[in-house]
Parts: sequence; C-alpha cells; structure tokens
Amino acid sequence: MTIEPASRAAVDEAVRADAPPAPREQQRARYPDRTGFVERGGVRTFYEVYGDGEPTVLLMPTWSIIHSRHWKLQIPYLARYWRVLTFDGRGNGRSDRPTDPEAYREEEFAADALAVMDATATERAVLVSLSRGAERSLLLAADHPERVEKMAFIAPALPVPPAVPRSRASQEFREPHDTYDGWGKFNRHYWVEHYEDFLEFFFSQCLTEPHSTKPHEDTVGWGHETDGPTLVATQLAPRLHDEAGVRALLSRIDCPILVIHGSDDHVRPWESGARLAKLANGALAVLEGSGHLPHARDPVKVNLLLRDFIGMGRTS
Amino acid sequence: MTTVTDPPGRPRARDAGRAVEPTRTGIADARDGVRIAFDVYGTGATTIVLLPSAPIIHARQWKGQIRYLSRHHRVVAYDGRGNGRSDRPVDPAAYADEWFTSDIATVMDATQTDRAVLVGLCSDAVWRAVLLAVAEPQRVDGIVAFAVGVPLLTPPNPWRVEWSFEDELPTDEGWAKLNRHYWRRDYPGFAQFWFEQTASEPHSTKLIEDCVTWALDGSAEAMLSDADAPSSLDLAAVEATCRTVACPMLLVHGTKDHCQPLSRAKRLSELTGAPLVVVEGADHMIPGRHPVLANLLIRDFVRSLQEGVS
Repeated sequence: MTIEPASRAAVDEAVRADAPPAPREQQRARYPDRTGFVERGGVRTFYEVYGDGEPTVLLMPTWSIIHSRHWKLQIPYLARYWRVLTFDGRGNGRSDRPTDPEAYREEEFAADALAVMDATATERAVLVSLSRGAERSLLLAADHPERVEKMAFIAPALPVPPAVPRSRASQEFREPHDTYDGWGKFNRHYWVEHYEDFLEFFFSQCLTEPHSTKPHEDTVGWGHETDGPTLVATQLAPRLHDEAGVRALLSRIDCPILVIHGSDDHVRPWESGARLAKLANGALAVLEGSGHLPHARDPVKVNLLLRDFIGMGRTS
Repeated sequence: MTTVTDPPGRPRARDAGRAVEPTRTGIADARDGVRIAFDVYGTGATTIVLLPSAPIIHARQWKGQIRYLSRHHRVVAYDGRGNGRSDRPVDPAAYADEWFTSDIATVMDATQTDRAVLVGLCSDAVWRAVLLAVAEPQRVDGIVAFAVGVPLLTPPNPWRVEWSFEDELPTDEGWAKLNRHYWRRDYPGFAQFWFEQTASEPHSTKLIEDCVTWALDGSAEAMLSDADAPSSLDLAAVEATCRTVACPMLLVHGTKDHCQPLSRAKRLSELTGAPLVVVEGADHMIPGRHPVLANLLIRDFVRSLQEGVS
C-alpha cells in the first residue's frame, strides 16, 4: 500500500502543532489532504478534510468517549466520491478537553461543526452522525437549514421511546453506590475510579456481534485518549429530555433524512430509531443482527446505504 | 426513498451467502474410484487451481481468494479427498502422496485445464504441488506456496513432537491433543485447539470459527487414515525433488507460524531459487488471515508469468 508522504506530513504537522498526541495512531487507509484547528471560547477543535467533489459529507462527532477515528472505515470509501470533513469532538482526540460541563452542551458541538464548515469554506454539507451525534446534528440543521443538505443518523441517541436499558442508572448517575454492576457502571463515581472497566463494559454493550475484537480494541483505545473526569463533564451537560424537544427541532427541518439502526442494538433500541424516522418522515434501514456500531462492524452495508443516500437525486 | 429492509425478527444466517457463485460445479473420478467435487469460477487465459489442505479442511478455505482472483482469471477449487463434498475413503492407502498429487491432475482433466498456476497452503497442498510440478512439468506454470510445508526439510516445531501421536497419554492438555487416541475421543476438541494454535494472531475469531466448522465437515476417521497413509520419504529424496522443480515459485511464510517452521521455507527457497516473502507476525493461515496480502501476491505472481518476467 502506498501512503502519500505529503498527506502523512500533514498529520505530523498537526501533531507538532501543540495538540494532544494521538498515542495509538495506526496506519491509515487514507490520510487527510488538509488538517487544522478552529477555536471557540478558548477551546480548540481539530478537523480533517479528505478528497473533493460535491457535496461535502460532514462526519459529526459522537459522544467524546471516542473521537473521529471511529469513522475510519467510512472516510476512505466516501472520499472516493465526495469531499469528507470530520473533526474530533471537544473532550477527546486532538481537540481540547475543557473541564466545565457547560462546554459540552449540544449547542457547543453544533457551533463547533459550523466553525469547521466556515474554516473549510463549506457552504453546505450532508451530515452523518452516530448515536449521541444526533442532537447536535438536529440543532445545526434547525438553526442553519441552508447549510445542511441531508442528514443520516446511525443508531441515533435521542429521547424518543422506548426507554434505553440504562435509564435507571442514568437517573442515579450522580449518586455513589456500594456496588456497580451492568449498567450501574454508568455512574460518575465509577468512571473516575474504574474508567478502564467502564470502557470495557460500555463497548461490550456497543459491539454485541461475534468477531468484534478489533473494533472493541479500537474503541477502548480511543476511550483511553480521554479520561473519567472529562467524560463525567460531558455527561453533566444538559441535553434534550423528551420527544417534544425532538419534535420541536424536526419542525424546523425539511431536508431528506435516513436512519440506520441495528436490530440488536443493546445501547439504543432500534425502535427508537424507527420512531425518529417516523417523526422526521425519513427512511429507515434496520440492519438485522447489528449492534450499536454498525458502521464499524458492518462497514460495507453502511457505506453502501450512505452512498445511495448521499448520491440520491444527484447526477454524476 | 432509500433501502427499507424488512423488520427484524426473522432469523438470518450470517455469511450464509458467497461473494461469488461457481460458473460450473462437478465431480471428477480418481483412478481409485474416489470422487472429487470441484467448482469453477470466472474466465481468463490463466487458470489458477486452489489446492485443498485436506482432509482437515476443504475448498471453502479459499473463500477470501476466489472472488478476487476470479475477476481476472479462471479459478478451480476442489474439496480434497476426506472432506467437503468429496468421498471419504477409510483405507489409509487412499491418502498417500501419490493420490493427493494425482487428484490435482484429475481435477484439471475434468475441467479441461491443460496447465495451471497452483496455489496451496502447508504440506497437504504445497508438497503435492511440488510433486506434480516434477512429475508433469508441462501442466504446472507456477506455484504459490503459503506456509511452506515440505516434509523433513528441517526439524519440525518442537511442540509438535513434544508428545507421542501413537501412545495413550496421561493428559489431554495442549499439544497432547495431537494424538491418535484424543482424536477418537474428541475430534471437535482437537479442531478447536489446532486452529486456535495456528491462527493465533489477534482478531482471528472468525477465521478460527470457520476453520473449525470446515474441520467438522470432515471426520476423525479420515484424519486418522490420512495419518496412517504409507510414506517412504527421506531427506535426500525430498531435497532432490525440490531441486528438480523447474517452474517459477513464490514462497510466503509467517514469522509466527505454529505449524510449519520458517526454516523450511528458507530451505525450499535455497533449493529452488524461489523468492520468499516473510510476513512479520503472521501465523500459519495467511490466506485466511491476510487475504488482501495473499491476493495481491498471487495476482502479481500470475502477472509476472503472463509477462514472462520471473
């Protein structure tokens, strides 16, 4: 495999530029053509640009327990056809790790996305999000409809029914307990004291398919690039808490929407993705047997769904 | 709009489908009456015959190669005697080198293949490919040999001879499973152990599961008959045979091969002058675990033959 020296240099440049290092950086199928930082309120966000061609596809950050490398199996494929933009959500990767929960409001992530679009002269983009990337994508599209062409949601994490398996633990997130079992590990005290075990548990719930050792190793590794206290801060930031909030955002959005959800998602039930598709009058693709990270575990299926969705209505 | 799938709930067999279906499937009759099941894929001026590592597994071992290679070439794959859809003779004489070697020619005859590039893994395939190249050089354009397993060339890995194969052992643990009596008692246990040992790289769970499934398509009886096959090899004869190979060869061997020592690949390279690709960190099942690497090596080797470069 040939690696463009210039592209590699771009990454090295970014690493040298005073950013947190990427300790587990692996060889990539494709290196970015351009990298950079945007800064808002003293928080720096690292972004990457791949390829060219219309439209631009913006791969949104998910929960900062991982960073933009979770799109590693989408970037090289999508960048064959289109310009691909991605960035590390604040709290992980090469972006800053503010300690104030307010810095992790969904509005901040949406504003970071807009800042990255501005910095890269991206007028409009197709937004693709995973899990917790859903709400920030909806915010961006509702507040700036002219900047968003389409939206694809993978395993969206939004407060639409049915309830998530961890709902009880989430309510008791701040309380210390004597023991922490199963989703009881979704607890701020446990994250600070047993961060590694939480990562192992959480990603075992995300990756329920057989033969997932590699994405499990990858995701746990990315999780280790941030820490328990930072993750607690992300969790304390306010988010939408009911379907009415989701409906209110959707009422201001009329772009095409696709929801992709695994039928065996142990983190967010597929029925909640189906509910979002219904509320949004969008399309739904349920991947039989897939867990919470279908783009990592069944990348070809997800990539082809994204290709058809992004290319739909375009002549090329 | 976009694809809308059926609602979940119906069972789906993962990976039940194949990346490509054969264009022709058939049965070839060996001279001893054993029936050999083969598949033909794709078209092209060059035919590649993928040799089975029989009787422990069968032609599906090449599932990561067939789709890719058949884009550009005609590909023939077959189940070796003792596994898959081929017959499972019980007479050890049916598992002699001569039969496995002539089966290659039998399948080539049945598929109207005058000459071919042979691709194989380990001694079950590589040694028989060498024997055919020496016996019928006009039919073998070249050989790609993964996990080179020419017998006797150098001493075996020490763990493989730690325990007696023939004797009743006081334990079933570890390499004591490489034992006739254990195979009879618990062949699935042996298959699981064997492929965990020889596919020891991280993230090999799918490969191990596949290989164990293919092993259980076969039987302990066929494996024991194969182990009891008559053989009269000595080192001098093996070396002389290797020196006689005239066709181009490519040797590919991992540094962490738990079945065949790297020294055998190096020695075969010395004897034949064939180039050796050493894959850092790779264990025994290179085509299964590193399909892109294996496929590109096969592609480049075939291309070099077509261009008259070697």
